[in-house]
Amino acid sequence: MSALCRTEWRAVGTTCAAAVTADSPDERNAQAALSAAQDEVAACERELSRFDPASDLSRLNAAGGRWAPVGRRLLETLRLALEAREDTGGRFDPTVLPALVAAGYERSFELLEERPAAAPPDWRAGAAIELDERGGRARLEPGAAVDLGGIGKGYAAGRALDSMLAASSDLAGGLVDLGGDIAVAGASPEGGPWLVAVADPRHPGQTLAVLALDAGGVATSGRDARRFGPGRSLHHLIDPETGESALAGPLTVTVVAPDPATAEVHATTLAIAGPAEAEAHVAARSPLAALYVPQIGPAIPLGELPVVTQRLVVKAA
Amino acid sequence: MQRIWIVVLSVWAMLAIVAVLAWSSRPATPLPSTVVQTAVVKGSGGKQPLVVLKAPVHATTATSATVRP
Repeated sequence: MSALCRTEWRAVGTTCAAAVTADSPDERNAQAALSAAQDEVAACERELSRFDPASDLSRLNAAGGRWAPVGRRLLETLRLALEAREDTGGRFDPTVLPALVAAGYERSFELLEERPAAAPPDWRAGAAIELDERGGRARLEPGAAVDLGGIGKGYAAGRALDSMLAASSDLAGGLVDLGGDIAVAGASPEGGPWLVAVADPRHPGQTLAVLALDAGGVATSGRDARRFGPGRSLHHLIDPETGESALAGPLTVTVVAPDPATAEVHATTLAIAGPAEAEAHVAARSPLAALYVPQIGPAIPLGELPVVTQRLVVKAA
Repeated sequence: MQRIWIVVLSVWAMLAIVAVLAWSSRPATPLPSTVVQTAVVKGSGGKQPLVVLKAPVHATTATSATVRP
């Protein structure tokens, strides 16, 4: 059994944690690795946050259709987002930001009840994003704006994990958790896989299942958090086909993928899909796996979900 | 004689069903010794936790709250 070194901090609008399995009794290497993870998350936030007016993404969104200089992290995330849009047939779309803002995502929560949200009249999905990777710049279609909230957090978790493990050769494994977007690699302190619990959206504080992961990423998306609008019918999951809060979809969906950015993409996609569509989506994209929690009824495992324990429901005699 | 054949066929049918069920069910991932399953009894008055033992998880994934500037 090895030692676990762990740290927690606030970044990307949430609570973050990083942990390493250290084979060496010298904790300095482990601490240096944890610092490397924090530095990488901070660097990603400086480029990818839409809430920081000085970030590369904010400057790109404000460029009014002109080329804007962007860092390599933003370029890489935009490329991943474009690939995801193509892979999902537009069900994942990083250019839903105007619709997201129109839905009330940026307004004070107390005021959200007062205005029914609707898609902006001139908004359409699939706005063009041009990348000049050699020149380090990007350009959006005039009027378009990008939100990389989910995929950006997943991307940052993966990069932080890589930075952490590259910082020291003494580490047997590591985990980075950015508010539920989780990346793992190598051995846990117990010597086996890392155990990741899936929170039960219907029973706060309880666990729906525990997943065992040797490597890869986990992300959860859903509509169990903040809801608003008439009858609390609106949420932040925008259907790119309508530009409005998605009607179909689960309460939450947790996706396991080879990396956390991919997990985020497909969690976002499945969060606006019905059970049959979700099952077909996962089946067509091995090795994806998911735990789909419908708005009513028991959770549905999709694909080869590495579940090691789940709550059992036993009917009383 | 007919009864004997019925018994023999019933036994074979039952064995076939058991074989199909065993073949179609996925092998369970072995539980780490430190992970304990939680059972919940579903009674007429709703669900009543029977055993709740926390698994030694390293992280928990859940929908993150809406991010504000």
